[in-house]
Amino acid sequence: MSRDDNISRRDFFKFLAAGSGLLLVHCGLPSPPPGTRKKDYDWNKHYWAYAIDTTKCIGCCACMRACRAENDVPPGYFRTWVERYRIDAADQVSVDAATKDDFVFEELPGNVVKAFFVPKLCNHCEKPVCNQVCPVGAAYRTRDGVILVDSEHCIGCGYCVQACPYGVRFISPRSHTADKCTFCYHRITRGLPPACVQACPKHARIFGDLEDPTCELSILLKQQRYRVLKPEMGTHPKCFYLGLDREVV
Amino acid sequence: MNRKRRLLAAGLMAGASICAVLLGAIIYGGLSKEQSSVTIALLVLTGGGTVVLATLGLDQLLSIHRIAGGEKLPVADYRHTFRLFALVALVLAAALIARRLAVPESFGRYGYFRAAAVDQARDFEPRHIGEDGCAGCHEHKKEVALHDKDAHASVPCEDCHGPGWKHAADPKKNKLPKPKGKAECLVCHRQLAARPGAFPQIRWREHFRFVGVKDMDVACTRCHSPHEPLYMDRDLRKARLHPLIQRCRDCHIGRINEKLARPENHPAIFECSYCHQDIVRDFADRPHKKIECTTCHIFVKQSEFAGRIIRDADPRFCLLCHGNADFRSDSAPPGIDWPDDHLDDVAEKPEDRKKSCIDCHRDKIHKLREVCKHEP
Repeated sequence: MSRDDNISRRDFFKFLAAGSGLLLVHCGLPSPPPGTRKKDYDWNKHYWAYAIDTTKCIGCCACMRACRAENDVPPGYFRTWVERYRIDAADQVSVDAATKDDFVFEELPGNVVKAFFVPKLCNHCEKPVCNQVCPVGAAYRTRDGVILVDSEHCIGCGYCVQACPYGVRFISPRSHTADKCTFCYHRITRGLPPACVQACPKHARIFGDLEDPTCELSILLKQQRYRVLKPEMGTHPKCFYLGLDREVV
Repeated sequence: MNRKRRLLAAGLMAGASICAVLLGAIIYGGLSKEQSSVTIALLVLTGGGTVVLATLGLDQLLSIHRIAGGEKLPVADYRHTFRLFALVALVLAAALIARRLAVPESFGRYGYFRAAAVDQARDFEPRHIGEDGCAGCHEHKKEVALHDKDAHASVPCEDCHGPGWKHAADPKKNKLPKPKGKAECLVCHRQLAARPGAFPQIRWREHFRFVGVKDMDVACTRCHSPHEPLYMDRDLRKARLHPLIQRCRDCHIGRINEKLARPENHPAIFECSYCHQDIVRDFADRPHKKIECTTCHIFVKQSEFAGRIIRDADPRFCLLCHGNADFRSDSAPPGIDWPDDHLDDVAEKPEDRKKSCIDCHRDKIHKLREVCKHEP
């Protein structure tokens, strides 16, 4: 400061330069974008999707055990599960899932007319609801079409858990943040199939890349008839079900 | 006029540098594309203001110099405007710094999320190493070779043995489990209404009763090797066509009735006795008469042979029923200890030990070496 409480031109420019310098030092240079640190994967070249042939599922729940082991899912919570639909002569539908111990289905009493298994997991919707409601931007969608949770940024408000029409999200008791199926993002970006797909002994679960017209899934979707769950929700799910009964919701 | 121009130039430069600082702060503050329109409007507003305030402020500064230089020109006091705009610029810069601190780095680079989280999601090491991972070491092991040819070929190793990442890292220290109980088998093979009908499934108590097992704690693996379970293909057993006939044209000349093309719809033209009546008649007098033909004669897709006892009369196939085991009841088929006791009793020469069951016991089955009259 110089005379009469006024600053000189020199001081003014000094102040300006120091201020801008401080700002630049504080901000630093931007970090490299994802996918550049490991240069083995380009997320613009893939668009992952999933298909489930319900007529092949034998309800062995190998997928659930594989998912639990691969992703360290806490006991009592599931990123994928197998539902058993049992329909009796009076058209009464009862649904159960093997959720205890080692995920084993026991035969239940009752006169069943029709029964089948339906594996479920995150549909990785093209227009997801969960991402829209997240107040902090912790639920997001990658360019290769996978819905992920940023557990470092999630505040655990549980809004997405309520918003998901398929009930695939839960609040992890360990991290107290939202958790869900990631399509085994650590595996698919290394060229491996998701753990559940690899574990399925009857090839009822099919994983593929819609950007690749020669992959099994792309061909399957061209040739087979399929359905998605709750299409009326407008979420455009990317899990396609083959041989799905009308009772399944 | 010259001085006024210089004043304006200096003011513009000062204003532009303040704008640049703010712009830099905004960019490095990590705003996304969606936020940029609002930001630019804000920038234009503050930037323009800053240009004005810098110009006026410098004018003010220079006017002081003029007073200091002895000139007495009346100058308007613009200091309050300078303070106002300086305050706005300060608040904006402070807000951007605060945003920078509050919003995680790399947030908004690809959308409304933290870009670095994508790399974090990739950071886990896969725990299931897959068939290829196992084959790296176990490719030539007997179990693997058998496994790939038998009914469990589509069951991955890790379904029964658990994820192999630790074992692959240190095979000696981390052994993988070998499931030996009934429960592990029944995970897939327990009879459930919801399972597809063609999938082999049992009520194990009924199965034990049928094959004459009295000890209810016996594990499935005592009879069925999990790598080579030797089960009968149910589709094929239900099919009424000869297993060797794969195409309609093998028998039919002319138009094919599409409705009958599926094996289950086909008229029962192929009962075994239609062609092999000698054998079937002969079989009715032998000890095995209660057994169906298809129990022993199945078509094995992998090795493309049919019409013979599975695995070319491998003794282990006979031992599925005739193995001597302490868990069998008296009503079970007669059991032997093979190869040890049985061969010790009957083998006279060393080469006898290489014989298979039917080399000696063919009379127990039916007459052999019968050739189909018209080779299909």
